[in-house]
Amino acid sequence: MKTDEIENTISQIFAMVELEFRRVIHDPSEMVTRAIQPILWLVVFGGVMARAGVFANIIKSDYITYVTPGVILQSSTFIALAYGIMLVFERESGILKRLLASPIPRLNIILGRSLAGAIRGSIQYLIIIPLAFLIGANLVPSLINLTLGYIFITYGLIGFTSISIAIASLLKTRERFMGIIGAITMPLFFASNALYPLEVMPAWVKVIADYNPLTYIISGLRNLLIYNSLNIIFDFFALTIFNLLAIFLAVISIHRIIE
Amino acid sequence: MKAIQVKNLVKVYGGKVKALNGVSFEVEEGSICSILGPNGAGKTTTIKIITTQIPQTEGEAKVFGMDVKSEGSKIRNLIGYVPQELSLWTDISAYENLLIYSKIYGIPRDVRDKRIAEVLDLMGLEEAANRVVSTFSGGMLRRLEIGSILLVNPKLIILDEPTIGLDPNARMLVWNKIMEYKKEYNSTIFFATHYMDEAEKYADKVFLLDMGKVVISGTPSSLKQLVAKEKIYIHLKNEDAQKALKILSNLKEVSIEEANGNRFVLSTKTSKKTLPKVLNLLYKNNIVVSEVSVKSPSLEDVFIKYTGHKIEEESNIKQALATRRMIRLGQ
Repeated sequence: MKTDEIENTISQIFAMVELEFRRVIHDPSEMVTRAIQPILWLVVFGGVMARAGVFANIIKSDYITYVTPGVILQSSTFIALAYGIMLVFERESGILKRLLASPIPRLNIILGRSLAGAIRGSIQYLIIIPLAFLIGANLVPSLINLTLGYIFITYGLIGFTSISIAIASLLKTRERFMGIIGAITMPLFFASNALYPLEVMPAWVKVIADYNPLTYIISGLRNLLIYNSLNIIFDFFALTIFNLLAIFLAVISIHRIIE
Repeated sequence: MKAIQVKNLVKVYGGKVKALNGVSFEVEEGSICSILGPNGAGKTTTIKIITTQIPQTEGEAKVFGMDVKSEGSKIRNLIGYVPQELSLWTDISAYENLLIYSKIYGIPRDVRDKRIAEVLDLMGLEEAANRVVSTFSGGMLRRLEIGSILLVNPKLIILDEPTIGLDPNARMLVWNKIMEYKKEYNSTIFFATHYMDEAEKYADKVFLLDMGKVVISGTPSSLKQLVAKEKIYIHLKNEDAQKALKILSNLKEVSIEEANGNRFVLSTKTSKKTLPKVLNLLYKNNIVVSEVSVKSPSLEDVFIKYTGHKIEEESNIKQALATRRMIRLGQ
């Protein structure tokens, strides 16, 4: 690839991200309303569990602190997974037709859209982390850790957005799409380390959790934000495999959305 | 050079709905060509194949000599395409839409703002540039969409029903802008429409499409000559109908299509010379004409002659709906 081609590719990918930013700026209400549920999880559920002192021996922190990355992911994963609905809408309008008939390579559409969906999802991190500090979560108050945490969660959400694009491409209508997304979000959440440590899970749930990418995002975030450890290489590696697989799935299925 | 060459194009959706049934035509570079036909005739499917969105089932399609199946990415660099449905993000401003599209089209950073300003100016949208697109009228939306493909000066502009649903004023404005651009850059324009007046007025060549086939093609005037007849409507003042009938039936340039009391409908090859002759003859015989009008043949008449039905008739609606449903479900 020549330099101007690389520049063009980057410009196209970031155009998709910029589009998302501009939309959020024009109408930020969804980002705020989406944050309500995790805040309730944090304050009510987290508060009750903390008073009961659950998992105190295993989690090495209070429960509100422990559950903060989990509840952030609960809402941001849903946003990333639901992002594909955009493609269904754009398929029904003329936007997707335009994009597929324009010079932008399909891979760049997917990379751009996946990053855009991931960033839309990780806005939850920016809203919930300050609130968690406010209600007394014992997170590491280091700008480096917090920034790395933001990059890390965004990185992990790319795969979920790609999966969402693949599902949208295969199912094509909003009814079918939302049906599937509704069906997989909660199991994904419960079969992960979002609410409880892997050690207390029944063996069969733990097997699922071990293959659940959500587990690795949350584990990385806990290392950064709770245990003040930069040891996220393994989680990063696991998420890289997940992202590559998810992007591959999206690339091979995107052409089906228009047919 | 041919901008578009299409040969025996067949498209079958889901193994059962045949949207195209052997479409063939050619579009010369620099010309304006229109594909005219009723809903469900296969206009959009033809355009989807030419713009490399979907592959054909059979046949061949080339854009500037390049095959749509194997050289899609090269083709996509040369075309500007506006689909029938809205292709703008309605929750951001007009300027932002153009900005995002200019990045998608790979317009270099240093000329981006200049091109956007030019397009806004050309389309008469400078004042609305910072308004959120959802507040735009139908005509403004269309002008913005067309403007957004002009950012890159495409060699071939493909418009699918560019004025569908617009009022006559907005339609005219959209077309004025397109023709203004065409005059300056001489791009090839290929558009699909079911408004015959648009095809007649703006296209150099028209392809009449029906039931997935081109039934006939040619320049609007050559097509109209195929129907060959202009109609003269005459309304007489007094009750000399019998006398007039006798005189007119002896005139070999006209044939009487209808005689109803003191109203006559005559058909003729060209009214330019025939009409004065008819009027003179009647005048000489002291027959007073109170009203006269001439109706030229339209592409609608051509369409009816070759297909047996009108362009905007509902008879094809079932076929159209079935095709759309298959497209929507993507089977």
